[in-house]
Amino acid sequence: MLQPELIQLLTASDLVDLRIDAIPKLQVGFRPGCFFSSSRSQDGEAKLTFIPQQILLNKDHELFEDGDIHRHLYLQNLSTCPAYDSPTARQCEFRCYISGCSQVFSTVEDYEHHYNTLHRHVCSSCQRSLPSARLLDIHIQEWHDSLFSILAERQDMCLVEGCGSKFRTRDQRKDHMIKIHKYPSDFMFDKVKRIKNIKIAKKNMLQKGTSMEVSMSVSEPEGVCEVLSDQPEEEEYMEINHSLEPGILDPASNPINTVELSTDHDTAPILSVTIQPTTNQQRPQHNRERHSYRVPRTVCFGQGSVQGFRGHGRRI
Amino acid sequence: MWRLNAVRHKAGRQGSDLEEFKFKRREHEKELRRARKDSQLVSKRLLLNDDEEEDGTMDTLASDRVLGPCITTTVRDEDSIWAFHFSSLSFPYVLRQPNSIAILVTNLCGPNPQCRLEAARCLHELSHSPHSEVDSLRLRQATPYLITFLSGQSPKFTELCLYTLGNMCPDSENVRDMLLAQGIIPALNNCIQIHRTNLAVVEAVGFTLSQLISANYVTGTIIPAVLASGLIPRLLSVLTPDSQFGLGPVIECAWCLHYLACSNVDNGALVAQGTLLHCTSLLVTLGVAVAKGSIEEGIELLIWPLLRCVGNLLLSGPLGALQPQLNDSRLLAALCAFPQAFLQTHPALARESIWVLNNLTDSSVFCSALFYLNLVPALIQLLPFSHGINIMVLRVLGNIAHQGREYCLHLAQAGLLPALCATLKMADTEVVTFSLEVLGQLMASDPQLAEEFVRQSGLPVLEAIQYSNQETIRLRATHLLEHHLPPHCTVRTLP
Repeated sequence: MLQPELIQLLTASDLVDLRIDAIPKLQVGFRPGCFFSSSRSQDGEAKLTFIPQQILLNKDHELFEDGDIHRHLYLQNLSTCPAYDSPTARQCEFRCYISGCSQVFSTVEDYEHHYNTLHRHVCSSCQRSLPSARLLDIHIQEWHDSLFSILAERQDMCLVEGCGSKFRTRDQRKDHMIKIHKYPSDFMFDKVKRIKNIKIAKKNMLQKGTSMEVSMSVSEPEGVCEVLSDQPEEEEYMEINHSLEPGILDPASNPINTVELSTDHDTAPILSVTIQPTTNQQRPQHNRERHSYRVPRTVCFGQGSVQGFRGHGRRI
Repeated sequence: MWRLNAVRHKAGRQGSDLEEFKFKRREHEKELRRARKDSQLVSKRLLLNDDEEEDGTMDTLASDRVLGPCITTTVRDEDSIWAFHFSSLSFPYVLRQPNSIAILVTNLCGPNPQCRLEAARCLHELSHSPHSEVDSLRLRQATPYLITFLSGQSPKFTELCLYTLGNMCPDSENVRDMLLAQGIIPALNNCIQIHRTNLAVVEAVGFTLSQLISANYVTGTIIPAVLASGLIPRLLSVLTPDSQFGLGPVIECAWCLHYLACSNVDNGALVAQGTLLHCTSLLVTLGVAVAKGSIEEGIELLIWPLLRCVGNLLLSGPLGALQPQLNDSRLLAALCAFPQAFLQTHPALARESIWVLNNLTDSSVFCSALFYLNLVPALIQLLPFSHGINIMVLRVLGNIAHQGREYCLHLAQAGLLPALCATLKMADTEVVTFSLEVLGQLMASDPQLAEEFVRQSGLPVLEAIQYSNQETIRLRATHLLEHHLPPHCTVRTLP
């Protein structure tokens, strides 16, 4: 329990000089003009305010509570218990400080993993988080670079690090990556789809007559509540026609796990994760992208009742 | 085992089931916490009879005794015959009798030694009884006599008188004023002098004094009277634990000293009478014992009041003036050893130990000593722990960093920067605030430290804090990023 150095210090022999005034004192003070001038910001307000302070605690201070309780338990002879279940020291928890996130973790590693997954390499235009700086660059170039988008010849880069090949179409890139880099054909090249209710998706698939894989995504957090647009049918049709790939899910520790569906003809960013915006931040104008399929399209509440809801399944 | 087996609360250990006991204990603890919040935290003690002590089992109804013929003789003289049966059930009956307390008092002062002892025992049990019909007002008839008997020679009798008075002290302010006026403090002084070799009586004196000075709304006269009475040197002379008798007397005296010091009436007088010196040397002794692994049961009950006493006495004057009394560097080692030893069992004790270090590190002498003795890594290892421990450690580290550049460099050598990278991510905003302050001091003292921080991947952490919705930490993080980073670092600060 006790470190060996401490034990040695305390059990040192009498020959060792233990007097405080025999200990050499380190030099006090900072270099001139070093610290105190810069601890104030330009408007003169002190930002760093700590000064050493001796603390006097009176009898009833809250810091003394546990000790007092222990004392009175002893006076009342209840402290001698063989299996004394006293409060034990807890390790501090870690919190993500990004505004609106406020998740708490019990170890540094969990927190860092969360941060690296969701808050690093974030595209400031569309709040998507990419796995690496390179993919972020590619994303910005392909999605938000207006110059890039009007190039006569597209120059989609290969996603593999070190391969500088460029392609004119997304499909060419995809083929290249499958053939040359041996990527699986169901890798999340293009669109990724978020489906809340597998029943709906299957229903839709049957309606449209296509068969494909459906991926379930984890439930989204509160705060993202989109009303279905007026013409859901058409959108679903469009979406289904695009290729569906199972999404690459985030690690289980991260409950924010949604992948976005873009209704544009452009493909969705690769491997991207959407950070759910909260009420604090402005929402990007992608209303049509976020569909909540929580409310089933048709529900029968008994015989004779209206099949389906009045309106278009507005989420309650 | 403590002699304190003999002094028990009446509740004791009912029920042989351990779980039942633990449950009751938890409930009891909750009650005590509530009482403390309402400033109603009082305890009374019951001294067991000798034969019950040997018996070893605790039975609340074991105090069924019939007073001897002396009482009944007296009563018969007054034409009414009744005997005292003392169980808790009979108290209302006893007290409804006319002049019951007067009769007890008569026997207390009477010629018959056995009757005296019995009467004292009755009064003691009455003082301890929680029964609502026991009116301490009526018990007050006995106090002048009890106080007088404190200067007597009979240990057992004196002990009973002491615990009776001690149980009455928390009852009300009027009682305490009355006891003071009746001369309880000189009597206690006399008593501890006469019975200084009888540690059971010394323990009782300590208990009674602690009850007197710790009760709520202690009047302004009690503590100055104690300070002026000459009791302090006698209390200090008790502060050497007797290995055979146990820790009881030392514990009581230490709590007395704590109540005196935290009242802050005249701590200079306390220091002048040697309190700081004795308390620190006892802390060192206990630290040595802890280091050797011989942690006695209940040692924390002694460490607690000593820490509090020393911590508060450190504010009684400039540290430079107090230094002669603090000259043993093992005190610092002990203050670092207690948190390590008691972190899991009594984290509050760990926190208070570091609080004392905070009060000590206001002086560069002690900061230098911490480095010389290589104690800083032990402190840094406490940073992951909550319960206010890490905040107090950060205060200590801030005190050290505030001393100057040399101190900051030594802190960095001890491994503070990576530890700060971790504390900056913690959930508690106060921890993050203190961490930013300490980091600011380090980075401002020497640009090497700022670069080292960047090498430890500290930049993203600061940048992340800028996005927090807590203004205190946001402002500090931004300030550090703008003013204290090495020039070659690209900084992404928010507008």
